[in-house]
Amino acid sequence: MDLNRLNARVSAAREDVEGRGETFYPGPSRVHLAAFPPKERWSDWVELDSRAWPKRVEKRYMLVPTTCFNCESGCGLLAYVDKETLQVRKLEGNPEHPGSRGRNCAKGPATLTQISDPDRILYPLKRVGGRGEGRWERVGWDEVLDDIAGRIRKAMDEDRKNEIMYHVGRSGEDGYTSRMLASWGVDGHNSHTNICSSGARAGYHFWMGIDRPSPDHANADLILLVSSHLEAGHYFNPHAQRIMEGKERGAKLVVVDTRMSNTSTHADHWLAPYPGSEAAIFLAIANYLIQNRLYDEAFVRRWWNWQEFMEAVHGDSEPTFARFQDELAELYSGYTFEYAEVESGIDASTLREVAELVAAAGTRLATHNWRSAGSGNLGGWQVARALFLLNCLMGAVATKGGTYPSAWNKFVPKPIHTPSRHPDQWNDLLWPSEYPLALMEMSFLLPHLMKERGGYVDVYFTRVYNPVWTNPDGFSWMEMLRDEEKIGLHVAMTPTWSETAYFADYVLPMGHATERHDLMSYETHDAQWIAFRQPVLRTARERLGEVIHDTREVNPGEVWEENEFWLELTWRIDPDGSRGLRGFFESKANPGEKLTMDEYYGYMFEHSVPGLPEVAEAEGLTPLEYMRRYGAFEIETNVGAVYERHVPDDELEDIDVDEMGRVYTRAPKPDTPNVVELPLLDGDDDGRRRVGVRIDGEILEGFPTPSGRLEFWSRTLDDWGWPELALPTYIKSHIHPGSLDSDQMVLISTFRVPVQIHTRSANAKWLDEIAHTNPLWLHTHDAERIGVRTGDLVRVETEIGHFVVKAWVTEGIRSGVVACSHHMGRWKLDDTGQRQAMATVGIDHKDSNWLLTRKRGVAPFASSDPDSMRIWWTDVGVHQNLTHPVHPDPISGQHCWHQAVRVRRAEPGDRYGDVAVSTERSYAVYLDWLEKTRSAVTHSPDGTRRPYWMMRPVRPERQAYDLPGAADPVGS
Amino acid sequence: MELLRALGVLAEPPTNEHVRIANVLGLPAPPEPSAYHDLFLFQTYPFASVYLGAEGMMGGEAGDRVAGFWRALHMTPPTEPDHLCALLGLYVSLAEREAAEEDEASRALVANARGALLHEHVASWVFPFLSKVRELGGAFYGGWSTMLEEAILAEIRSSGSPRNLPLHLREAPGLPDPRSDGGNAFLNGLLAPVRSGMIVTRGDLAGAARRLDLGLRMGERAYILKAFFSQDAGKVLEWLVDTAEDWTERHEQQGADLGEISAFWEGRARATADLAKALLEDRSGWDDSPGDSATPAGERASGSHEGSGVS
Repeated sequence: MDLNRLNARVSAAREDVEGRGETFYPGPSRVHLAAFPPKERWSDWVELDSRAWPKRVEKRYMLVPTTCFNCESGCGLLAYVDKETLQVRKLEGNPEHPGSRGRNCAKGPATLTQISDPDRILYPLKRVGGRGEGRWERVGWDEVLDDIAGRIRKAMDEDRKNEIMYHVGRSGEDGYTSRMLASWGVDGHNSHTNICSSGARAGYHFWMGIDRPSPDHANADLILLVSSHLEAGHYFNPHAQRIMEGKERGAKLVVVDTRMSNTSTHADHWLAPYPGSEAAIFLAIANYLIQNRLYDEAFVRRWWNWQEFMEAVHGDSEPTFARFQDELAELYSGYTFEYAEVESGIDASTLREVAELVAAAGTRLATHNWRSAGSGNLGGWQVARALFLLNCLMGAVATKGGTYPSAWNKFVPKPIHTPSRHPDQWNDLLWPSEYPLALMEMSFLLPHLMKERGGYVDVYFTRVYNPVWTNPDGFSWMEMLRDEEKIGLHVAMTPTWSETAYFADYVLPMGHATERHDLMSYETHDAQWIAFRQPVLRTARERLGEVIHDTREVNPGEVWEENEFWLELTWRIDPDGSRGLRGFFESKANPGEKLTMDEYYGYMFEHSVPGLPEVAEAEGLTPLEYMRRYGAFEIETNVGAVYERHVPDDELEDIDVDEMGRVYTRAPKPDTPNVVELPLLDGDDDGRRRVGVRIDGEILEGFPTPSGRLEFWSRTLDDWGWPELALPTYIKSHIHPGSLDSDQMVLISTFRVPVQIHTRSANAKWLDEIAHTNPLWLHTHDAERIGVRTGDLVRVETEIGHFVVKAWVTEGIRSGVVACSHHMGRWKLDDTGQRQAMATVGIDHKDSNWLLTRKRGVAPFASSDPDSMRIWWTDVGVHQNLTHPVHPDPISGQHCWHQAVRVRRAEPGDRYGDVAVSTERSYAVYLDWLEKTRSAVTHSPDGTRRPYWMMRPVRPERQAYDLPGAADPVGS
Repeated sequence: MELLRALGVLAEPPTNEHVRIANVLGLPAPPEPSAYHDLFLFQTYPFASVYLGAEGMMGGEAGDRVAGFWRALHMTPPTEPDHLCALLGLYVSLAEREAAEEDEASRALVANARGALLHEHVASWVFPFLSKVRELGGAFYGGWSTMLEEAILAEIRSSGSPRNLPLHLREAPGLPDPRSDGGNAFLNGLLAPVRSGMIVTRGDLAGAARRLDLGLRMGERAYILKAFFSQDAGKVLEWLVDTAEDWTERHEQQGADLGEISAFWEGRARATADLAKALLEDRSGWDDSPGDSATPAGERASGSHEGSGVS
């Protein structure tokens, strides 16, 4: 028997079969240690009907891929569409999705319960009576569209474009609405990012131009997380499985998290520091690497902008690397392990052990900070900057097992139309001059900016976003939304009831994961992939020969998808095309007609996704058919270190190299199908564009930063008024012990529970049953001091009010720190809302003093779903965010979530769920934090509002960057 | 290496894909599912723990040991971590990981893990199992078992001689002596391959009934054996001597490649034959015959074992 020949034969047969898009091995099976239906049987998959047991009754399904819409990860799902009823019966993982690889967390399959939620919004609703009174009438989409389009058209015609605002929570398709708003000429894109990830992302942005990390966990030797990334957080499912792969390979895991989590329990080292001290820890590790010369000197010499630093800060006109190394050692010498121990409360010996692991990892150091400390603290952006300093020291940047810039692991296909123009006005309500370096819009300050500056928004879209509940200081949001002199028309686009939707004029039902189109790509590992979200019943029925024109034809009730909504709205704003808007949504194949989703995506998949047409053709499919069949496509793997790539010769035409080594060319920029967002770097004075950077005599692509290198020293920060923070450093948080009174503690309010996702999952009964309340984590010592036990009521006092919550006494949190989970404490004012996860509350206020009291918790109720009679829980937690004042970081713009609080036994008369707040005090806190800023008006180096190179979702025309009245603005 | 994965898959219930795989491997067409079920659900069971556990059943300490191996690799054990298909799949995935690993030290670690899996959890039991499959399995499974045996032997040859006897075997207790340990312990021990050195299937017992002209009482194997002893203990012991000597020869034939492992199995089978001979000669010292009606009810082979499907 020739085993080698047999081996070769079976390998060849497998390759051949799988090359045809079929599965060689049977599934479900344990062949791949996982179980998935073979994809060639997705059109007709047979399972036994569990309800018919013990009879063997076959159920036939059509398996249609889509992607999850619950968290940002966009993991692949397979919808099991019952061929008899044409209903989705279950959702499981899509093995073809390169990011999630068939695995899902609980939130993916729970989409089924969101689709069938008896309380979901199925028809457009229009308010009756005053805003917030809670009375609604059903209206038709035509009425809605005509009303909104008319208002927008009027605002445009009257040059009030800045009164149109779109505020997004869960993002859908990469760039879809920001491109649309640009094409409208409206600087009205508002995101949630400054209450989310702006802090850490600003730190990365200043280092490498790209604003997110993409760690290669699977190949790392050391995984260093500032998060609970095995259980929650962005991309946690794709990342968690790769972290476990890394651990299988022998990688060590270090978790920095004050709170004990399911992630910390898997760690080799769990560091539970005093909140806000994380940067001090990382700088102490950096100092160890620097003092002991354990860093990658060649990498630092080649890729850091150390020469620029030495010239600008030390006036060293001919700096040497040796002198820089001496300076580096001097700069960080104060960050000893002993110093970090004092700040963090973690033993110096433990920190040394971790530092030794970092040193041993070399270029296989994967680090990650998304929110966590980056979002909790004043100066949280320096946490990410200090963390990434370790990568930059070790040369672990875009290496196997290292950390990549996100944009290199992401692919955004160029769409059929790109905006032909950009807004010519700057929106000061979103980008106020006090925050010129804010990573994203100052979204959570909107009520305060409106109050302070007399703003007005004529048409305000909240789109899958719930600022009243999610943002800090929700009562100020209520005050703003109720005031028709501030908000002319509030349109809430949402799949489910939210606290914000109660204060809308229109509530428009939007689709869940199986009811909408989107295309997404995320930095889950060193690869580039796209994943397709699609209305699965539309695809299923089209496979059966039906022609579907509009997702409302297949979705429940009149639930719509946003892509078609925006398309239709744009046509109604500009019915004859005279305003130049309509063309953005016009067919190329049939000029003068509306673009269809098939043409929109078909064009993109045909023209902008390298390799897809060929792979599709091999299976006898069009690219669109391929994506509708498999739901995902991997464009490239092992992207590697883009910065080390040589610039092609045909891009080097009449080049000029400046004193910093930046290379400029006259060759036009080659057309690229990947339009992932990157910084915009200025060319030279002679009209050449930036093409790369010269390193050791070679012209390489480098980093998309002003210097072309990793910016250890940020000229941007230095120029815009923050020279003392231009290097990776440690900023003492607003909740640093030195800033607290002796009776104050720190409240960590941001952590997630693994099965919930902000306010979008309250309509998922499976998830609600698992997690529905948020007691206050209180250390044993603190509980003794306060005199409470688990279950007792405690009053938590913030700067602007208090909330009353139950205590959970635990040693899973540091003494002196309390924690209360995000997600919980949902409420409704009457029976309108999610009855399975929202308590019914009363809200009273006198002047600026607000009081929310719980009338009743949840209870069983009769509905189309028999499970609603089986609800056994009553407690749905407490809405703590109402008591948080705004804490905008003066640089990143991030809301700094951690709160200094006093925790005491509840007072007589306090009831569970009580929330009391003074919005007058919250406004005063806003003004206090405004004092921390350094405005562009006084600090802009060039008369503009914001460094032009920095990213911005909708980028106005260059002259809109000019500050009003600037003497010699650069942008003009 | 793909060959091992494909052969592992063939230990699963047959599907359309099996036809294609069998064709690629030059094997006859897979039989009907009923043949698979008879072989792998009623006669021989493709689970390591059945052959390595002191109880001769699925799970137990042997099953935990295999699951622990998965955990040691930081992997969540699958539902049946010791199924032959899962073990071969894991082995191939470790080989692939090893090949992809650039770092020399990491590669060596994975190679060690792969070698340990092969030696501790595959080679320690699979050859007696495959031998029995070849005896019972007809053209397809007979060909399959021969091919798999060669493929595993080739892996063993290429990975070098193991250092120690696998832990499963080192820890395995011997066959109880009914004269000191009681009749039921002896019967159950006979049916635990790692203790007796032999695999006694339902088919073997049916054949014995015909050969010895004994009544075949319907029930689990221990019950059938007990009934044999109650009818004619002498004949049964003679049959046991023959069976154990047959297994001694089978194990001897594997000796060249498997070294200590074969010696272990051979030793166990020979000890069984010797014990049966001793019992034939010394019935007087064995009052508590397994077939004795005086055997306490509580000592009867438990019917609950039958529920595991492997007793």
